[in-house]
Formats: sequence, structure tokens, C-alpha cells
Amino acid sequence: MKVLRRIGILFLAVVLVFCLAACNRNRGDGDVTKDTVELKVWGAQEDQEMLKAMVEEFKKENPDTNYSITFGVVGEKDTQTKILEDPDAAADVFSFPDDQMGDLIKAGVLYEITLDKAAIMSENSEGSVAAATVDNKLYAYPMTADNGYFLYYDKSVLTEEDVKTLDGMLAAAQKKNKKVLMDVSNGWYLASFFLGAGGSLGLENGKQTCDFNNEQGVAAGEAVKAFCAHPAFITGEDAILTGGIGSTIAAGVSGTWTADAIQEKLGDNYAATKLPTFTLNGKQVQMKSFAGYKLMGVNSGTKHPKEAMKLARFLTNEKNQLIRFEKRAMGPSNIKAAADEKVKANVALSALAMQNQYGVSQANVLNSSWDPMEAFGTAMEAKDYKKTVKEYLDTMVSQMAA
Amino acid sequence: MDYIDFTQLHPVRKAIVGVRRGIIGFPKTVGQFFGAIRRGIAGFFRGIGRLIAETVAAFVHGDFRTRLSFLILGLGNAFRGQIVRGLLFFLCEIGYIAYMVLFGSSFLAKIGTLGTETQQKVFDETEGIYIYTRGDNSMQILLFSVLSILLTLLFIGVYLWNIRSAYRSQQLQEQEKPLPTFRQDLHSLLDSRYHVTLLTPPVVLVTLFTILPLIFMVLIAFTNFDKDHQPPGNLFTWIGLDNFSAMFGGNEQLGYTFLNLLLWTFVWALFSTFSNYIFGMILALLINKKGIRFKKFWRTVFIITIAVPQFVSLMLMSQLLADEGAVNVLLRELGWISESVPFLTNGTMAKITVLVINMWVGIPYSMLITTGILLNIPEDMYESARIDGAGPVTAFFKITLPYMLFVTTPYLITQFVNNINNFNVIYLLTRGGPLTLDYYKAGQTDLLVTWLYKQTVEEQNYNLAGVIGVIVFIITATFSLIVYNSSASAKKEEEFQ
Repeated sequence: MKVLRRIGILFLAVVLVFCLAACNRNRGDGDVTKDTVELKVWGAQEDQEMLKAMVEEFKKENPDTNYSITFGVVGEKDTQTKILEDPDAAADVFSFPDDQMGDLIKAGVLYEITLDKAAIMSENSEGSVAAATVDNKLYAYPMTADNGYFLYYDKSVLTEEDVKTLDGMLAAAQKKNKKVLMDVSNGWYLASFFLGAGGSLGLENGKQTCDFNNEQGVAAGEAVKAFCAHPAFITGEDAILTGGIGSTIAAGVSGTWTADAIQEKLGDNYAATKLPTFTLNGKQVQMKSFAGYKLMGVNSGTKHPKEAMKLARFLTNEKNQLIRFEKRAMGPSNIKAAADEKVKANVALSALAMQNQYGVSQANVLNSSWDPMEAFGTAMEAKDYKKTVKEYLDTMVSQMAA
Repeated sequence: MDYIDFTQLHPVRKAIVGVRRGIIGFPKTVGQFFGAIRRGIAGFFRGIGRLIAETVAAFVHGDFRTRLSFLILGLGNAFRGQIVRGLLFFLCEIGYIAYMVLFGSSFLAKIGTLGTETQQKVFDETEGIYIYTRGDNSMQILLFSVLSILLTLLFIGVYLWNIRSAYRSQQLQEQEKPLPTFRQDLHSLLDSRYHVTLLTPPVVLVTLFTILPLIFMVLIAFTNFDKDHQPPGNLFTWIGLDNFSAMFGGNEQLGYTFLNLLLWTFVWALFSTFSNYIFGMILALLINKKGIRFKKFWRTVFIITIAVPQFVSLMLMSQLLADEGAVNVLLRELGWISESVPFLTNGTMAKITVLVINMWVGIPYSMLITTGILLNIPEDMYESARIDGAGPVTAFFKITLPYMLFVTTPYLITQFVNNINNFNVIYLLTRGGPLTLDYYKAGQTDLLVTWLYKQTVEEQNYNLAGVIGVIVFIITATFSLIVYNSSASAKKEEEFQ
């Protein structure tokens, strides 16, 4: 018994030591000198290596300051969730897609940028600056301008003439027993019909406003219904598109992130262009799209605001945007970087630039609006016609405003 | 009706009597349940009453040294030579006061409003930037207030213990008995009070990592902590029962969503629990049957599915069954179907699909568990049943099933409650989809728990999630207590030895 008890005590002691050690680790190292500027940067897993190299450059350019910069793996998609969990424990500098702007500003975690404001606004494309500003206040540094979508197609099946209209494309694809892919049950893609019909999304007191259920919107909804009912239509995520294009799929709507995979599949038949027009009340209307941007923000609770801003500014400058393009094929928002020869030669990015003439800012869309749109798209794909398009859209709009 | 009369009834009458008994007995079962709760609460207050009586007695009968330890902890012990023990009490007092003054009170003071000062920014001309001053943070106020309250309760405990200890020492001295030294105290922790030593760390850890978050979550259900009230930009505050009334009537769509998801959650839990249980048992019976060859081989085959991690099988299934997934493409290529089968994209189909796939991942486990118990049923029972002319079906319902239910009721309850909160299967297969506009941001296969997850992670509606969590907790706790207490396993515990 004695021995057992001793073992029990020993076990408890070990457990307690582990617990204490685990608690202590968060305190950070105590031996860092006072002048050290400690900053934390968040980025996606795939960007870590690139970010680290960029930060090394940053340190080299500022040899007078003693930086201690740490990295956290948080993909842009999760930035909002992670920051709002505990803003004080979040990174000082982080990147995020512009549709999170509204919620982040509302929660007060974005540092308003005043240093170099004019320069930042003139160096970057108009759309990206608009995405980073609210009421003429700049809240983030534009980083990329490629968060949008356009049309990839197989040149051996569809001609340049075919892909101008949705109807022409579907008919041509059907003739050759091929499909046209669009993920209609994804609010981001679905919206292109409504935006094309003149619909708009807005914010009022932090609530989503949306007119997709007006007369034009219902007509666009009917067009979605007809599209989904067409035999040549299929839906699916990017994996379906990259897997099927060239064999069963003739064309599909996606963004730059699938460019490499599609180019590899199609080889010489690889082509990309703006979205087609669709038939709205008997007339041809251009499909619009969300032109999304990735931005870099500074935490309003940062202990070193000036240094954090300096770092964010550096990470989004012309040179680093070009590095992003070369390493990760991200389209630059910086005007000079976008005019670079290498960028212009990129088929996908030039298609995106074409589509961006019809781009709509995503900054006015709240994160919670995607699910209701997805639900509408799901009903259309499933050919679930138990309610009229008008009824569906009314519910969708009221849920987005909730 | 006596037992002997009952056994002689016609089977149909028997069933009717059984059901009637169940219905008549149900209020009694529920009554017993609430009676137990009432007794528990009464016992709790009696205990507190005893404590107060003891404290008052210590004050009335105590000498000045005992009375002094009402103010300065540990004094009564220290004056009587128990220096270390007294010092420890005193340190507790100092520590508590220091915590409250330096840290706790600033949060506790604001618990009524959960903070009023939002974050402010002032433009600094020389630096050219805004300077932000952090205001209150409702979340931290709530969290640290709960922590402070727990610490206060702990301190009250230490305080009462100190008085008792001082009075005990006084009594021992009056009886001219030796006082225990600190060394003896320590030794008793390894000897007569060894359980205290062993239990303290788990209790502390459970309080910190389970009870504290639990209280926090329950409290959030009474605030407006949603996506429009995210600190530090916007603060949240108490709104009483508004969230609950919105869920039950105030907001039509919320209520509709909740009821439908609750219904589906129960259907899911019931079907998935019993389908796995019954099919697992049938499988085990088949393999156990005399004359089946290669028993070990068959068992191994089914257990191999366990070797593949559950989430891998689930993700794979969801890929296979997608509209453009392998199964649909194959069926189309073969020309058996012209349109994809909407396994996961049609509401009803998706519900059936998740139930069936859940069998795939669940049956091997219940087969394993039931195999062991089946082998334990005495063979002579079956033999005598056969001699009396019972067929295999009768033997199953009269011997196998009652025996199995007796042993596995607690297992079934755990399974049922697990299935109510079965996040993995649903989330990995369908993510709750297909989404529908009939529901408030939920899909047709969403369980309450996956809806809760979406409300927190995707929508930041923590208050709504809190409400869902509280209700799910009440339902599962009540259900499992009632069923367990009325099950044969609990009632006849002594018989089964």
C-alpha cells in the first residue's frame, strides 16, 4: 500500500508540473530586452515560407530596430473568427478577404490607417482601395486583387463566339455532350446573375440590405432556375471542375487558384475569358461578379502601432506583391506591379482583369449573407420548385437582413 | 394483478397491460426523479444550515483566540502552537484580498452592466496616427467575474474551515489532549485522508476547464453577445430571457428551425442508436451461430472497418456520394440512371444517407460489444427453451433480448446521448446541408449541436448558441437520468452479481 501511495503522489506531482509548465509557456520569454519590438503576423499555411522570407528582408531594411517577429498559421478565410475569439491575443498584422471588413470594423479590431494614406491610395487600383475604405477612412492595406472569378473553357469544344452568351455556350456544349460547370449553390458565384440584373447589396446600421427580390431580381432568379434545369448544366466544387475539364466538362466558372490545374489538363486548349451574358427578360445582360481583394490589417490593440503599420506597408508594397505573384500566383493590387509584363502574360489574370470591369465590391456583403444565398442555389439545383422563385427570394432577402 | 396472473394472460393482453403499466408508472418515474432532485437540494441547504450553526456555536462558546480568527484567519491555530497551519490560513486570506483588490473587484464591479466604455481613438498629431484606448471588454468582465465568484466561494469554504479548526483546537486544549502538529497533518494526508490528496488536483482541473466554461456559456445565453455586439468595438449586456423567448415564439423562423432540428435530432438519435444496436446484434448472432465456419475470419473482416479512422471513412463517403462523385458517375456510365441520385443534396435522401452511413461506421463496434455478452448467456437456458418448444424467434425475444437489454441499457443510454451530440458524422458527411431557406441558417440534416457550431464559428451568435446548449443539456441530462433510474440495470443492481 505504501508503495502504491508513493506512486500516486509522484504521478500527481508530474501531472501538476506539466499543467504549470503548459500555463507558463504562454507568458512568453522574459529575457527579451525592452527595446525589442515584438510583433505577431498571421498568414495562410501555404504562405508561411514566403512570409518568413519577406520578414527577413524587412529586418534587413530596418537594421536599427530589434524586431522579434513571430508567425501564426491562420488562413484568410478564418481570420475573422480567430480575431474575434480574443482580439488581445490575436496577431498585430493579419491578412483577410475584403468581405470580412464590415464585421471587423464593427468589432473595432481594425486600426485606422493614417500614415502614408495618400500614397497607399494612389499606388493601388481603384477597386482595391475602395474595398479597404469605409466613409473615406482607410482601414487596411490592399494586398492582392485576384479574389474574383471568370470563365475557363476548352478551346477544342467552344469557340470564342460560343462563350459570349450563356445560351450559346450551353447549346454548343450540349451538342457535343459536354457540360458547363458553375457552383450555383455558392452565394459568391450565384450572385453574378442578380448583380448582372442590376441588383445591389448594401449595409445599413451594420445590417445587410439587398434588393435581389425586386422585379429584376426575380427575373434573374428565373434565369438561374432555367440555367440549372438545362441538361448541359452541372454544379460542383473546384475539384469537380479541375477533374472533369477536358473530358466531360467544356467550361467552368472559377478563380485564379485553379489556373494551374486547368492549364495542365487542357494544355493547348486552355483558355479563359470574362463571364458570358445571360438572357434576362429576353435581353442579353452581362453577368457581373464579386471582385474580391485580400487586405492586410493592423490590430487596433497592438502595442507597437507604428512598427506594425510599417511592417504591413512593407508586406504589401510593389516588390512583395510581385513576389506573391511569382511564388503563389496572386494577382497584384498595386498598379505598377499589375502592369508588369509577367503579370500581363498570365491568361487567368488577364481574364480576371476583363471580368473586373464588371466587378462589384464585396465589402458590403456580410459574412452571414452567404448561407441564405447558398440555400436558394441549393433549391434551384435540386429543382425543388415547391415555392415560387419570388417566394424563395423573399425568404432569402429577409434572412440576409436578420 | 399478481405476477402469476400476468404471465398467464394472452400475449396481446399482456402487451396492453405492459403499456398501461408503463403509462401509469410514468408520472411516478418522473415524480421520483424530481423527488430525488428535491431531496438533493434540501440536503444541500440542511448542510449549509449545519455549517452556520457550527460557526455560530464557535463564536458563542469560543474564547478570544477563536473569536479573533473570525477576523484574522489562522490566529486561533497560531496562538495554540499550530504555527504553520495558522500561517497557511493567513496566507489564504492575504492572497484572496490581494486578488480581489488588484484584479477581481475591477471586473466584479462591472458585472451588472458588463461594461459601458467602448474603445476610443484619439488622433495624435505628432505621430500622425490614431491612438486607441481599449475600453471595457464584456467577455473578459464576464469571464473573470465568474472566476472571482468561484474563488470567493472557495475562500468562504477556507474561512469556515479556519473557524472550525480554531474551535476544534480550543476544544482539544480544554480536554487537555495534544494538538496535532503540522507534521502529523501532512502525514494524515498520506494516510487517513489520502483521498483528499488524490482528489484535489482533478477537482481543481475540472473546475477550471469544465465548470468555469460551462457557467460562462450558460450566462452568455442571457446576454446579447451576437455578431452585432462584438467587443471591443461593441459591448454586450444582460437581456434576461429575451433569447429564450425569441427561440420559443418571439421569432417565428427561429422557433420553427429549433423545433424541426430538435425533432430530427431525436429521430436521428433513436434510429442511429437502435439500428446500430440491432444490426450489430444480428450480425453477432449470425457469426456466433453453430455451423458457421471461419468465425474468426468473419469477425476480423468486420473489425477491419474500425481500423480505418472514422473521419477518413466519412470524408471518403461524402466524396463518393456527391452529385458528381464516383458512385453517381459510375452509375451514369453504366447507364442505370440518367440523372445523378441526390444522395447528399436532397433533404430526405440526405437524412437516409447519413443514417445508413452511420450504420457502416457503428455496427462493427456494437457487434464487438454484443459478441462478448452473447457468449455469456448460459446455453442451458436455450436448451430448456427448445425442450419447451420455443422456436429461434421466441428464444430471441424471451432470452437473448431481455438479457442483452439488462446488461446494455447503460450502454444504450450513452449511445443515445452521444448520438444527440454526434457532431462528426453529420458535419463530415453533409456539413448539415442541404441548406434550406425554411430554416434559420441551418440545413436539413443539421443536428442541434451542428447548428450550435455554425452559430458560434460561422455566425458569431454566441447568445443563440448558449440557448441551444442549455436546452440540449437539459434534455439530455433529464432524459438520461430518468431512463437510467427506471432501467432494470439500476433497479436490480444487486441481483446481478
